[in-house]
Amino acid sequence: MTEMNMVQALNSAMDHLLSKDKSVILLGEDIGKDGGVFRVTEGLQSKYGEDRVIDMPLVEVGIVGMAIGMALTGLKPIAEIQFQDFIYTAMDQIINQMAKLRYRSGGDYTVPMVLRTPYGGGVKGGLYHSQSGETYFAHTAGLTVVTPSNPYDAKGLLLSSMEYGDPVIFLEPKRLYRSSKGEVPDGEYKVPIGEAKNIKEGNSVSIITYGSMVPTVLNIVEKHKIDADVIDLRTLLPLDINAILSTVKKTGKVVIVHEAPRTLGMGAEISALIAEKAIDSLLGPILRVTGPDSPFPYRWEEYYLPNEKRIMKAVNSVMTYG
Amino acid sequence: MPEDSEERNKFIKAYTAMVLSRTLDRKIVTSQRQGRVGFYTPTMGQEALQVGASMAMETADLIYGYYRDVPLMLHRGVPIETIINQIMGNDSDRAKGRQMPSHFSSKEFNFMSVQSPVATNLPLATGAAYALKYQKKKNIVLATFGDGSSSTPDFHAALNLAGVFELPVVFLCENNGWAISLPVERQTKVEIWTKAEAYGIKGVKADGNNFVDTYEKVNEAVKRAREGKGATLVEATSFRMGPHSTSDDPTKYRTENVEEGSEKDPIVVSEKILKQRKYVDDKMIENIKSRTHKLVEEKFNECEKISPPNPSTAFEGVYKNTTWMLKEEVEDIL
Repeated sequence: MTEMNMVQALNSAMDHLLSKDKSVILLGEDIGKDGGVFRVTEGLQSKYGEDRVIDMPLVEVGIVGMAIGMALTGLKPIAEIQFQDFIYTAMDQIINQMAKLRYRSGGDYTVPMVLRTPYGGGVKGGLYHSQSGETYFAHTAGLTVVTPSNPYDAKGLLLSSMEYGDPVIFLEPKRLYRSSKGEVPDGEYKVPIGEAKNIKEGNSVSIITYGSMVPTVLNIVEKHKIDADVIDLRTLLPLDINAILSTVKKTGKVVIVHEAPRTLGMGAEISALIAEKAIDSLLGPILRVTGPDSPFPYRWEEYYLPNEKRIMKAVNSVMTYG
Repeated sequence: MPEDSEERNKFIKAYTAMVLSRTLDRKIVTSQRQGRVGFYTPTMGQEALQVGASMAMETADLIYGYYRDVPLMLHRGVPIETIINQIMGNDSDRAKGRQMPSHFSSKEFNFMSVQSPVATNLPLATGAAYALKYQKKKNIVLATFGDGSSSTPDFHAALNLAGVFELPVVFLCENNGWAISLPVERQTKVEIWTKAEAYGIKGVKADGNNFVDTYEKVNEAVKRAREGKGATLVEATSFRMGPHSTSDDPTKYRTENVEEGSEKDPIVVSEKILKQRKYVDDKMIENIKSRTHKLVEEKFNECEKISPPNPSTAFEGVYKNTTWMLKEEVEDIL
């Protein structure tokens, strides 16, 4: 066990993968000599060579497309898109190639790969370095979408993703890259895909969240001594329906927190699932505390991100309902 | 007739594949009109260039093709049943009718599953080529696409990457003159093969109506790729003798066409080449045509008898392990 931040944990996972298996290849912009703009791949190119940790030309569609072709030809690529905000030119590759190859070839061709990308705001990145686009990916059959909220899960989920057998969109909450610290095993271990984690037990209200909002929620719950059951989803596609339903059945009161815009965000799907499968357990309305339906602003990002005031307002509102 | 020579056998095989493709093309289009087939993108006019390219490839080479590559597949040895079953979307289709007709796949013959969005196969081909180079294999990648694809971001991305990483890939532009209704003159201001220069790869033009010329140009490109000398863009010019697809009416946008059996028909051009070299005579040509016709009729009727796939297969194979959502949804549907 070593204390690491999320950047170090991810680096440790990739170091492990590269050392273990020669077919593991990293590709992305500035990931080699520069070690990545967030230093997640620091030192890996000098250790494993330029042909395994590839500094790519500035072309997202090429990075993703090339990684798919590698995966189809026996390599195990981990591709990085520098900011999730820049992924859109590669969406054709992601949606029409990566996600559909297994299905359309009757299982003859599969795409075992990981596409890593930092997402979310709170780093003064403005419109184009702050987006939370998880819904775009979670709406696509054939993809699997994960997002860790701490160093332990980051490494464990990345190791699991590489053995998953299907393409995984690996969303890294960049706000937590260095602020989130914790004990991480030095060797190999797994955090299973598709399993949420009940990170704090309580009986009065369920708070369902993921990624960058997890530490925020935990701090608030602790500060206000709320008897909350807090769920860190960890995987957004497929959602852990059992974890969601069991917390709802336990508390009957639900607040969903994410920083992506409210309309058709993950909260919408979670609310619908609860309404369909556990409406009899509900003791109040399901409330969402999310980013607004506006672009992510530069100057006033603290107003965009769900904060203590808004989360507490929702928690108090459901807890005092009825 | 001369003794059996290696070239004679090769040329007869090439010609036979072209005739087979043309015969199949006609059969499918007719069947579509009769409501026996849902849709098709005819290949008519592109037989010579595809077969010429295929002649330069080994089975272990990887093909990243598009939805108009039937002659190439047939020449490569893909059984005609594989093509017909895919078009019918029946139970013997590997993908169980999930894809619309013309979207073939054959792992056995290293022919990558075909997509609709044009040129999205090209970045994949560079990734595959990178892998082969990294694994120190001698095999190469052939990526095919139409003239319209040369306008896309994926074309640019792929050729640029192939240049930067000196990849063992041959880009074969099947320039049939049309992207649905847009003529190539309105697609791009320059000849497509000249774009290679911008990416630091080799560019070459082939007469796509002449399978020997296309073979020679592609073979040279394949040789360079195998020797580690990098990528080539081959533009093979031909004619789209049919419509874009069976849903398309070309009389709306074009007045001239190459008629079947006319001097520019690549099958006619090929017959001339084979006759000049005294590899075939009229009788043999007739023989090949009638044999092929019989084969197509026979296989078509056989495949038509195969039952449709079980509806449940439409929702299988999305993931290695299906999701709980899909299980639940399928239970509701079936």
